[in-house]
Amino acid sequence: MSTTPRVSSAVPGEPAHFGSVLAHQPAIAASFSALYGRFWGSDVLAARIKEVARMRNARVTECGFCRNVRFDKAVAQGLGEAEVDDITDGYETSERLTDAEKAVLKFTDALIHDPDLLTVEAKAALQRHLSPAQIAELGLGLTLFLALAKALITMGLEPEVMDRTVLPTPAVLEAAE
Amino acid sequence: MSAPAGAGPVLAALAGDPVLAAHYADFRAKATGALDPALVALIGETVAAVHGMGSAPDESDLDEATRTALAYARRMPFEHTAITDAEAAAVAAHLGEPGFVAFSVVTALADAECRAALVDLPGLAAA
Repeated sequence: MSTTPRVSSAVPGEPAHFGSVLAHQPAIAASFSALYGRFWGSDVLAARIKEVARMRNARVTECGFCRNVRFDKAVAQGLGEAEVDDITDGYETSERLTDAEKAVLKFTDALIHDPDLLTVEAKAALQRHLSPAQIAELGLGLTLFLALAKALITMGLEPEVMDRTVLPTPAVLEAAE
Repeated sequence: MSAPAGAGPVLAALAGDPVLAAHYADFRAKATGALDPALVALIGETVAAVHGMGSAPDESDLDEATRTALAYARRMPFEHTAITDAEAAAVAAHLGEPGFVAFSVVTALADAECRAALVDLPGLAAA
């Protein structure tokens, strides 16, 4: 996996990172920003659960950038580092993650890694804990987490070193609505 | 912003949330709209074939640059961390940097949508 950017920054004076590289395509960047803000701004599915799925995706795709970013809304909903540390192989036995989060993690693994993991039992658990609307939102999130992590990695935008960073949760910009 | 257009498991799953669906459709359209539609179709077929969801496109009449891009696309589903700088440079040389950015997003999105279909996301969201 390369940590050498394969695309230059499109923003003068800024190094190549996901935002400055996506700026080569301003329409895509603006649309993604609006979508991501709407997704994280929706409370159909709690931010904590979205973040649990995002963290699992970060580990499975080996996205170091994703792994080191935390969104503040999920932190405020009680997702601390102890819980995040449990989002690894063997999460099924975690005493910190809820049953709903474990069902979400199993579905996450099925969608981003191996669809055979969505057994009858795993599907039933997901549907017991999440409504159809919540599953739809989770599916959208996983699609975006997976696709953007892979795009970031394959464009060589993985940082060589990065501290854990809590960021404001993406939000809808009122002027864009 | 236009209403959702075209198929896809994620859009289908979002049928109950028209606003979020429209945002996703717009993002998808902006990404695919930045590339030649023929290349977008080939990427979709190529990635789907890797997932066992259809036949790979016939590449016999394609130019070398397009074949290089499709070889790269085939790596996205299961080998994304193994793609080399040289492979990326070859695609970027053909598409240019803005094109390579769009190509990266479209290819990764094609992979994610195939995976969403394989777990029947629309069915789960409609249950």
